[in-house]
This record gives sequence, structure tokens and C-alpha cells, in this order.
Amino acid sequence: MPEFKVILFMCNWGPHAAYQELQDRAAEIPPEIQMVRIPCSGRISKALLFKAFEMGADGVLLLGCETGTCRYGTGTATALKNVEDTRGILALLGLGADRLRFASFMPDEAEALLEFLQTAISDIRAIGPSPVTPPVKRSPILEEAETIRQVVAAHDVYACQDCGKCSSACSLTLSGKPFSPRAIAGAVINGEIASQAVRDGIWSCLTCGLCYDRCPSAVDFPLFIRDMRNVLSNAGLPGFEAHGGFFQSLMRTMTSPGVRPRHYEWLSGDIKTDHKSKILFFGGCAPYFDIFYRNHLGVETARILKDAIRLLNFFDIYPQILEDERCCGHDLLWSGDRESFRKLARLNVDRIREAGVEEVVTACPECYRTLATDYPAEGVEVPFRVVHLFEILDREIEKGAVEFKGPEQILTFQDPCRLSRLENRPELPRKLLARLESWDFREMPDSGRGAICCGNTAWIGCDAFSKALQAKRLRQARETGSDLLVTACPKCQIHLKCAMEDPFQGEDLQMTLRDLTSILADAIQWA
Amino acid sequence: MTETEKGKAEKTEIIITGFGGQGIILAGRILGKAATLGDHRESTLVQSYGPESRGGACSAQVTISDSPIPYPYVRNPDILVCMSQGGYEKFGGLLREEGTLLIDRDLVRMGEDDRPRFAIPATRMAEELGRKMMANIIMLGFLTSVTGVVSPRAARDAVAESVPKGTEEMNITAFNKGFDHGAALLKGRRKKASGKTGA
Repeated sequence: MPEFKVILFMCNWGPHAAYQELQDRAAEIPPEIQMVRIPCSGRISKALLFKAFEMGADGVLLLGCETGTCRYGTGTATALKNVEDTRGILALLGLGADRLRFASFMPDEAEALLEFLQTAISDIRAIGPSPVTPPVKRSPILEEAETIRQVVAAHDVYACQDCGKCSSACSLTLSGKPFSPRAIAGAVINGEIASQAVRDGIWSCLTCGLCYDRCPSAVDFPLFIRDMRNVLSNAGLPGFEAHGGFFQSLMRTMTSPGVRPRHYEWLSGDIKTDHKSKILFFGGCAPYFDIFYRNHLGVETARILKDAIRLLNFFDIYPQILEDERCCGHDLLWSGDRESFRKLARLNVDRIREAGVEEVVTACPECYRTLATDYPAEGVEVPFRVVHLFEILDREIEKGAVEFKGPEQILTFQDPCRLSRLENRPELPRKLLARLESWDFREMPDSGRGAICCGNTAWIGCDAFSKALQAKRLRQARETGSDLLVTACPKCQIHLKCAMEDPFQGEDLQMTLRDLTSILADAIQWA
Repeated sequence: MTETEKGKAEKTEIIITGFGGQGIILAGRILGKAATLGDHRESTLVQSYGPESRGGACSAQVTISDSPIPYPYVRNPDILVCMSQGGYEKFGGLLREEGTLLIDRDLVRMGEDDRPRFAIPATRMAEELGRKMMANIIMLGFLTSVTGVVSPRAARDAVAESVPKGTEEMNITAFNKGFDHGAALLKGRRKKASGKTGA
């Protein structure tokens, strides 16, 4: 019998009593099952459910009490939502939604439980073994002193003059967090890496790059932090991943060559693509975000992908798409997992090369930065051009005979750090904003290269201070008198929307958010 | 222009009109050159001089034909290009019923006249390129893509040959801008006709 692993998370109350009865009478519980007893099914978050798949489980079963009988009130309801969302993600990832199931049992339902377990196992067996190769457990690299010296030298952190321009600009510092880029730089140079404060600092940084923009010695602090995170991860130290590390798990899962995502299954038929085109549209992970956040924020970031292709279609460009598109790896690189990043990068480049593509278009600032800059910098050669959708739109609109019609609104713009600062292209979205003639555009006080961060990068270190700086940013946006906050990155939208959910100051922070790509797609017309 | 169209309209009469100083005559000359040197057809140019060239309505009359042209003057053009209000008012009525009207969108107001037209902000585009004097070349590119009266390659060669040395590249950029604008306009009309307005 091939080794088949199904993890059974079982609530301590209803189902466990039934399970014990099965054990007591030595019932034939399928041997594939590895049972983990838990206090309540509602405590198994999406991250925990998914972690099992990242580690190579062929299936996961979550058992709870029946709705209404939860000892803690909302456990079952929460579990149902978590399972539904994770199933959606599994489907999109191509693993198959049916590898994960929820069921509820009362203590006296031992027979029903046994039948459920047997059916579930045979169903999961029918889907086949999981294509995920679990990550090989490495022994931690403890010889960190030398690596750290190399990182410090590579980014010339020694050039830091301790002047404090960085902390006077840093969005985090200004939101009140005891955080200082120059202090971290100094401490790392002095070999104080064991200090918890320094480690916390390394995981707190937004890597938004505002400090690098201001630094008179041009110390590239974001890249330094990125590499320091890699050093800490290699040493086996935990990171500060938000959402229980769900997204990092998701992206690591994609490093298995056998995984074949179904990235565009949701795309409707009025979108035209051409599998022979020399132009490839690289969408990014937004479809996963929409599923993950559907019960909380209700964001619609996958629309950006659809609207981007709509816009290309408008100009008679019918790009190729990769049905099995994977993550670009941005978040893995920036959360310290360079090894997985390189795996993903190689898989992606091989796949794109195989597709015979000459130009890759993306509407995501992170994919743009990662494909265009980080892949070559990390030693993965890119045999194609990488362009941002906005460049193509600007070129096509420039030809004329196009106009934009829509409600007269006052717009303001949240710069995505990867596009406006790290890639230094703040003019790209602005050229397009300037073409929306019937709209009024007003800049926030901190804009372009100097824009304040949306609050988080790479799903790392989200805390109350992130919230404080988001609230500050939203107030700035409202003070411009605008009624629409335009974003150009799915994550800016998610993070700012999250801040608006604040139960205490939410009302003061409300603002309609829309992505620039979607605005253009809805307003563009032939003149 | 397709083969059948070419056979039917073997002679095309064109008037380009605008202010003196806009390069109207040069545009006419380039057009004729493109037709003869590039496309190996016959062409004539009649340029109107006199007080008009001191800022009034000036015009270039171009005839392009597959056979020798016995009479070079143009009474009723098949194609009328207006780069000034005065030019439009003076020549607008002469255009044939099925003729093609091209205007600089910012310089010509057509008022009650609701004839179909192809409009381009040529002067504004030239200003954006940094040389207002290149509006004529932009218009020429536009004319080439919209009417197809000369082949794009012949037109580009004629432009490069006729402009002052050292400005060829800039003028070709201007020509392409007008050409692309025309192509986009035609594409937009095709899409609109098939019921596709937006994205």
C-alpha cells in the first residue's frame, strides 16, 4: 500500500467521543488517518488547514460538532467558513477541493463517523496522491556571523552615517513604533543579531524603500532587510508571517513541479486570449486573495486581471495566458525564503520559455518588479521582456481616437511601493490618470516616490502600528477632498480596505477604493 | 487602397489648405513625390501663392493619377485637408459629395456642417513633440493612413527626402504619430460599427 496520509483534525467534544467509541471496539478506522485532537474545529485556521497540504498531506478532514451544539458558540460556523475558503484555494491551486472536508458528529454517531471516514478516504484515494513534494527539513545554519558580514558588505551598510534621515521618513517610525532603520543597521554591524529587539526590527520593516530614497549614503535598507530575513530563516528562527503564514505556505506549495494550478478557471468567455501569441499576460495571485478574504473584506482584486485583459483586447491585443500560472515568488523572497523563491523563479521562467513568449505583460507591481529585476538579480536569466500594463496602455492611448467616459469624480492615488519607488516609475500611473479628463485628480501630500506605504509587504509583521499608518494614509486621502481612492496593486487595496474595517474609527476612514486598471477598463471608449 | 478601388478611382484630386507658414505647400509636394517616386504614378501640384502665403488661407492642389494628367487644377477635390478655419470656409463647399474631409480638430470648427470627417489634433500633437511646425507632417501621416492615397512606405521615404537634413528622424516620428492616429481612428470606427464601443 503506497504511503497515503490524511490528517484528521478532530474536535475534542462531539466527534472525539464518537471516535473513542470506534477505538474502544477496535473498529476498522482507515490506516491512512493520522488523528490530531483539537479543542474546537473553529480554532483550525485556514493557515493550519493548508499547512498540512504544504507538508505533503493527501487529504485533510476537519470534524466538529453540529451547528448550534458548539461548546464555544461559533466554532462550527467559523470552521465551515475556513473550510469553504480553503477548498476554494485548493481548487484554484489544482489540488482539488475534495481533498479537504468538514463534517460534524455528535457523540452517539460512531457508526456514521466510521462510514464517513471510510468514504472520505476512498474518495481522496480516487483523486490520487498529492503532487506536493514537502520541503526537505534542513538543519539550521548556525554559522551566521560570516553570512551577516557578507550581507552587510553587499549592501554597503557600513556607509550608514547614523544621520537619522531614515527614521525621520519611515512610515513605521512615524506611526509611533519603536523602530529605527539606522539603529538596526548599527546593531547588525555590531554583531547584536541575537538581540530580540534587532530580530523584531528585521521582521517589522515594511521594505517600502522610503528610507533608501532619503538615505544620503544610499544604503539599500530594503534589500539589506530582505537578505537578513534570509539569514534568520536559514538559522531556523521563526518569522512574523501574517495570517499564520498562509500565503507563504501557499506559495511554497507552488514550488512543487507536479502542482498544476487552475489559475484562470474563473475567467469569463468574453475575454479573448490566444495560446500562440508572443505576448503573455502574467496575472498574479489576486484570485487567491479574493477567496481568502471573501468573508472578511469582500475585495475583488481578481477583477484587475480580467480588466487588464479586457483593455488589451480593446486594443486588439490577444495575449497568451498560462492556465497553470504560479506565483512570481515575490513574497517568498521578501519573507526570507530565497531557496523556494529560486525554485519558483526557475519553474516560471521555464514555463514561459516553453510557451514561446517574447514579452510578458503584468498589471501587478510586485510581479513586475520580481520578473524584471529580482529574477535576473537572483541568477535566473529571463529570456523575455517584462513590461507593465500601463506602458502598453499609454503607448496605445497615445495613438489617439480613444476617450474616457465616466462619472465626474475626484480621484487621489495610492502609489504601490514596488512600482513607484523600487522600480522608480511613479509617472506610469500618473500619465494614465492625466488622461481621465472629466475626472479631477488630486495628489496626497506624500506621493510618488515619497508615498506612505499601504501598511504591509509580503504578508510580514502586520500589527497595531501598521493599522495606525494605514489610518493616517486614509485620512490623508480623505483630506484631499477626493471621493475615490485609486490603487494600482491588489495588496494596497486589501490592506487599506482592512484598515477601514476598524470598529472604532472605521467610519472616519471609509472611502471607495478602485484599481486604476478597472477604472480604465470601464471608462475607455472609441472616440 | 485595395486593387478594385484603385482601378475605379484612378485619379484622385486633393486640396490641402491652411495658413501660410504651416507647411501646406511642402505637404502637397511630399504627397506628390510619394506618388511619383515611390508609387510610380503620375502627379501634379498647383500651389497658390500671393497674399495668401502671408498668413491667409493658402492651398496646395495635388492630383494623383495612373495616367498622364492633362489638367492640373482641382475644382472639386476627392480629399480635402483643412488645417485652418479660413481654409475650411473657402474650400469646404467644393468637396465632392462622396469626398473625404480631414481637419485639424483644434483649428477647425465645422458648426452646422455635419458631414463625416476625420479629425486629428495635429497641431497639438506637434506641440507635444516639441515642434509646432511638424503639424503638416503629422497631417500627412494621418492622410496616408485614412485615405491610402499613397503607400505608407512611399510617403515615409518622401518625408525623409524633403525635410531639412538632420530632422529626418523627428519628422518620421511625427509622420508615424499621425499615421497611428489614423489607424486607431479607423479601428475605432470599425469596432463601433460592429457594436463594440468600450472594453
